[in-house]
Amino acid sequence: TRVSSDGKPAKFQPPPKPVIIDKQKQREERRFLSPEFIPPRGRTDPLKFYIERKDMIQRRKVFNIPEFYVGHILAVTAADPYANDKASRFVGICIQRGGKGLGATFVLRNVIEDQGVEICYELYNPRIQAIEVLKLEKRLDDNLMYLRDALPEYSTFDVNMKPVSRLDHDEIPVNKLQVRMKPKPWSKRWERPKYNIKGIKFELPEKKMKEAQKWSQPWLEFDMLREYDTSKIEEKIWKEVSEELKK
Amino acid sequence: MMPIWTKSGKKHAVTLLKVQDCHVLRYISKEESGGKTSKLLVGGKNASPFSKSESAMEIFKEAGVPRKQKVTTFNVTDDALIKPGSTPLYAAHFRPGQFVDVTAKTIGKGFQGVMKRWGFKGQPASHGQTKTHRRPGAISTNKASKVYRGKKMPGKMGNIYRTSFGLKVWRINTKHDIIYVNGSVPGHTNCLVKVRDSKLPTCKDSNKNPPFPTFFADGDEKLPEDLYDEDVFQFTDPSVTYA
Repeated sequence: TRVSSDGKPAKFQPPPKPVIIDKQKQREERRFLSPEFIPPRGRTDPLKFYIERKDMIQRRKVFNIPEFYVGHILAVTAADPYANDKASRFVGICIQRGGKGLGATFVLRNVIEDQGVEICYELYNPRIQAIEVLKLEKRLDDNLMYLRDALPEYSTFDVNMKPVSRLDHDEIPVNKLQVRMKPKPWSKRWERPKYNIKGIKFELPEKKMKEAQKWSQPWLEFDMLREYDTSKIEEKIWKEVSEELKK
Repeated sequence: MMPIWTKSGKKHAVTLLKVQDCHVLRYISKEESGGKTSKLLVGGKNASPFSKSESAMEIFKEAGVPRKQKVTTFNVTDDALIKPGSTPLYAAHFRPGQFVDVTAKTIGKGFQGVMKRWGFKGQPASHGQTKTHRRPGAISTNKASKVYRGKKMPGKMGNIYRTSFGLKVWRINTKHDIIYVNGSVPGHTNCLVKVRDSKLPTCKDSNKNPPFPTFFADGDEKLPEDLYDEDVFQFTDPSVTYA
């Protein structure tokens, strides 16, 4: 055994702990600005949007609205004067997020006992008691209205589903599911290029697909008057909103 | 226009009106105007003085106020007169729970046909109609042998003054001078609008205790930034529940 300079046996010194530099945390925090904060293009006074944003931030401070996209599976509990418990809970997949400002809405779809049900909730309605995200996954499209014409198995979700645990990764997984459809006629002609749907497995003959391309408008992407660059507006609003929410 | 929720969970649509640099311009006495009550001329938003003639600018010079875009008259009783000139009018002149009439020029639609202007049914699209689908049809009878005055015919539609009556005031923002008024209001976005206490007989009770003659900013009253009606759900409260 080693003997130190005092003459007594030296105490065991453990080796120094290795310093772990977590590169994930050093990467920038993901910025998510809910789409209803971005003002639409128009001739309205920006003061109106500023006042609306103040109200929205005020509501978010009291009630937590989680970050979610189209394709997530959500459970919403809303106050209902006619229900037994005075509260109703609905689980469904978010197929559409519409509206700007305080009137922002999202539509949840589910199939309950072979009956398709869609409920449109308002994000800032005071009757909503809780919004929980049960499963996070983005889909290939922004608008999943085609699920109405898809086979019902793609819209059924268990009402008592447990929330899928997820670490705080930076990326939300994209589900590249190709949905199979019921036979035609559909509510809308989803094969046409104006809807630009990537999430359907079209089992139509080649001739029909070519005929659908007749309605394509390739000049639309070059139209300069339709351009609405929101990057700078988003930056400003993101700073404002995040500062207010931290207070 | 914005949604607003009450404490019972009902949603109402609300229009935002901003009070921008309003000043009293002139006092016209009962005898001078020839009406039943005396009048007060009130001017709205500030505008450039260079595009108007000298004679038109006299009113503003007398009051000592920059040129206003719009000037309207209000019939006022003698005990509610305000001295013209320096005192500005604010949104806190109105209080939540009051009822209000809003007048403005409607959106101009130009020269319009009889179906859009007066709501005529027109003619069927097919079954042998020759060149007649949106026409007025007959304009008078045989016995009359003339067309009556005021016959509904195509012409310029819109761009006329119209009033919506009995609109409830839900909320007032004193910092930015904004009035939240129930329902819709005539006119396009950012147009000039005249807001007046309601004359409807059913609304007389709610207009009992207004700030009289008006709200003075340099007076003793210090109002909070937001004034809400008692039914309005404020976003600082927790979510609505039914017990």
